[in-house]
Amino acid sequence: MNVGLPWARLKGLMRRRESDAELQDEIATHLELAAAENLRRGMPPEEARRLAAVRFGSVTSAKEGAWEARGLPGLASCLRDARYAIRGMRSNPGFTLVTVATLALGIGLCSVLFSVLNAFVLRPAPGVSDASRLVTLEAPVPYPYFQRYRDEKGLSAGMAAFIGPVPFGVSVDAQADGKPERVFGHLVSLEYFSTLGVAPLLGRFFDPAQETPGAAPTVVVSARFWRMRLHADPHVIGRALRVNGRQATIIGVGPKDFLGIFPSTPAEVFLPVTADPAVAPELADDILHRTTQPAFRVLVRLRPGMTMAATEARLDAYTREIDQQTGKRGSDRKGRQVHLILAGQASPLSIPERSLVATFYTLLVVLILSLTCSNLAGLILARGSARSREIAIRLSIGASRFRVIRQLLTESLILAALGGVAGFAAAYRLLDLFARFRGDSALLQSDIVYTPDLRVVLFAFVISALAGAGFGLLPALATTRADLATALKASMGTRRSRYRRFGLRNLFVVYQVAAAMMLILIMGVWSSGLRNAANLDPGFDPAPLQFFSLDPARDGLAPNQSAALYTGLAQRLARLPGVESVALADQPPLNLTVANRSVSVPSVPAGSRESVHPVAFLSIGPGYFATLGAPLVRGAEFSERDLGLDAAPSDILPAVINQTAAKDLFGGTDPLGRRIRQDAEGVQRTFQVTGVVRYDRQSLAVNRPVATIFLPLTHYDLRRGSRSGTIVLLRARTHLDGATIRRKLASINPNLTMFNPQTMREFLAAANRVVQSGIAFTSGVGLFGLLLACVGLAGVTAQAVELRRKEIGIRMALGARPPQVLRLVMREGAVMISAGAAFGFAGAYGISRVLAAASAQMAEIIGWSTGNRALTIGIPFMLVSLAAIACYLPARRSISLDPLVALREE
Amino acid sequence: MVIPQKLDLLQGTLDLLVLRTLVSMGPLHGYGIARRIEQLSEDEVLLNQGTIYAALVRLQDRGWIAAEWGVSENNRRAKYYSITRSGRKRLAEETSYWQRLSAMIGRVLAPSEGGPK
Repeated sequence: MNVGLPWARLKGLMRRRESDAELQDEIATHLELAAAENLRRGMPPEEARRLAAVRFGSVTSAKEGAWEARGLPGLASCLRDARYAIRGMRSNPGFTLVTVATLALGIGLCSVLFSVLNAFVLRPAPGVSDASRLVTLEAPVPYPYFQRYRDEKGLSAGMAAFIGPVPFGVSVDAQADGKPERVFGHLVSLEYFSTLGVAPLLGRFFDPAQETPGAAPTVVVSARFWRMRLHADPHVIGRALRVNGRQATIIGVGPKDFLGIFPSTPAEVFLPVTADPAVAPELADDILHRTTQPAFRVLVRLRPGMTMAATEARLDAYTREIDQQTGKRGSDRKGRQVHLILAGQASPLSIPERSLVATFYTLLVVLILSLTCSNLAGLILARGSARSREIAIRLSIGASRFRVIRQLLTESLILAALGGVAGFAAAYRLLDLFARFRGDSALLQSDIVYTPDLRVVLFAFVISALAGAGFGLLPALATTRADLATALKASMGTRRSRYRRFGLRNLFVVYQVAAAMMLILIMGVWSSGLRNAANLDPGFDPAPLQFFSLDPARDGLAPNQSAALYTGLAQRLARLPGVESVALADQPPLNLTVANRSVSVPSVPAGSRESVHPVAFLSIGPGYFATLGAPLVRGAEFSERDLGLDAAPSDILPAVINQTAAKDLFGGTDPLGRRIRQDAEGVQRTFQVTGVVRYDRQSLAVNRPVATIFLPLTHYDLRRGSRSGTIVLLRARTHLDGATIRRKLASINPNLTMFNPQTMREFLAAANRVVQSGIAFTSGVGLFGLLLACVGLAGVTAQAVELRRKEIGIRMALGARPPQVLRLVMREGAVMISAGAAFGFAGAYGISRVLAAASAQMAEIIGWSTGNRALTIGIPFMLVSLAAIACYLPARRSISLDPLVALREE
Repeated sequence: MVIPQKLDLLQGTLDLLVLRTLVSMGPLHGYGIARRIEQLSEDEVLLNQGTIYAALVRLQDRGWIAAEWGVSENNRRAKYYSITRSGRKRLAEETSYWQRLSAMIGRVLAPSEGGPK
């Protein structure tokens, strides 16, 4: 066989029509030339033509000969291989089903994992052009900083700033008094759209000549909003929307699929930063000119040829200059002030994060795929031994080894294709279900699109092909290497080559145990992190609690009006029948949190080193802990006087801390009256501890309570309202229905809209569901690995027993007792299990070290997990014992062997 | 076992004859090649002239001959084949192989001289 041929053959196949015509021409010329020569020899014309045709022979067979030479045989024999393979698969449906199901599971799981990776890391933000060149500053900056960066020549190919996601109360019909809908959007600098490189579907985007301070409010809406809320009206430009109670003219519609930068938190409406603070309370307090309010996220399009590091260095230098000019503290700090992270995908992502996520998912995909392949390779090898006679016959009657290998590979590729299609369909369905399920949960307020796109399809195709080649090639090579004579004699029980072939199978089994061990350990760490998020004690009794959100600023109330509204609101609601107490907070009382801020305690002997502690913050109103049912152990709750403090940044705010924070920050000493300092983004704030509460919030990933500092809701907080609005928490003897609350609210202010009403139980259940689905998935992957390893081991042991029937028969005939025989068979399995387990454990340890080194949060999770006996000892123990059972069940058959039968059957 | 070997032999031989003809005659069209082989072999080898086209396609695929459209002596469009450099190399190899093979077969089949005693 000439290996260089296929390409020429393929070309031949493609040019087939053309060369057919040419051949036709050639043959015609040939016949004419022959007739002409015969004519010259003196034959009559009729006879000359007839003889020419006779000498030529069949035109059809000449053409067929040429086709065959040209490349049809390759394709034709491939089709023959495929037909043969399909016939074989149909005659053995059990094997086919098991193989396709295993492959479908493996490829399906890999596709799901890849879709997640795709959603977070690979897929560029839709509608944004050349997203890979977009970066953003990790921390928000004050607007004047952005202006300075932007006006620097040659620093970037475009720069924009925005605040977002910001909620807006939007009603479409500007005339009617319809209730507004809460819609998220961005408050953007005028360069936003040009920096992202998007063009409007309709109308125009913001323009410095028209969007001037004091101009009539304008708004750009997303194509999705335009389609779903404005009925895709082609004449929508110039229409008015009611935004936060004010009229704003629609000047443009964004391009299809564009949902702002960071579509994980989709933006549906865009307002310019020049808008009046009455429309957007986030812009109050002259925020565009304040150097102390780091509220703006800066987007940078890298200049062609300029790296992220070079851009970061220059931004850093400018930042230090401005810090110095404004006399800001910390301008003398060492290290980078500015960190650039990637901005072109679903949400901001630093480069180390990106490589960590990519490595982690790639690792999982490789583990799952190789586990699937080695399992199937073992299965096919076992089948190959059964088929070795068939193969030997084909080889002996003259099939080349290449030809037989190609046939076997065709089979595995067809199986892989079937498995790939089934797996992809399953993955699609699963992700679709997950998306719908997530759609119900208002908790996450995020919209990561997991739905597989073309990239995922391509991925599934590639891994299917890899899997087909992976599990098909080695067995094909091994089976066809068989020595013909011994293989043909195999039926007589004198096969010799079994040890070698068996060696390959053993290798597969050791690998399977090792890969399963790694997979289960990784999944165990992951799901135990989730599990402890799901099963925690809320720290209070959820039964009498319910809550809803208010955001008067989006209902058209002026900032000061909306802050004033909260004074006395709790008392008025508390007068409703059955209500025991009412309290406010800036976020739902979810126990899961991340300690993502740092504070320090000013040291008593000045100058000694201050240690920095990670904490979480929560802003609450008076009576919060009483309403929640979490008792204070020291000090007192915030009073009515503390609500809506109009505090300057330099004022010392009172703070209640939980016991964990008390222990972390102050050790054993009495925290009451002590001070805590927060130094974030160049702004320093100081708090004084006024109470300690026995209320532990749990960390999202690690089974440990999080140090939390509770601050009073200030005037600043109440004027703006947060992303989730202001939470109103009610403690009631009986459940209050929405209508009752709405009536009461209407009596306070008719414009007030309540949203997201729910009971605490519903809320906790929804949070739990999200976590549970994660647990289900990770446990599923772990179980899959476990199952495959056990099936592989059982198969290999069964085959070992089968191959050694005669030996066992002789041993038993010579007086070996069943336990001895069992030990003999089990020994092999035990060696494989221990070797695999040891390799797997070492591998998992290695992986954990690498991951821990890559990320601090990962290190924390892993550090916690390695201390968890259930994980580090329980999981390997479970795997080893299940594997031992998988090995024991088929081994037991050796005892029931009748020596007489075993010896006689030949 | 006899029949397939004979077919193989014939196929290889035809390729060889085509290459040889192109070396000695220069560029030729399909009919010319067929006639030339018939003349040289005194009408013994080729049963059907049509079989030549499979050989021509095969040799072209392997890059041993090249084809070019031209005009035949009776003013018809015809494809002219010529041998390539690698075709000449191939011919040399095949020729020596055939000579060795036929010499060997000749020795083995020779009636008495050097044969088994």
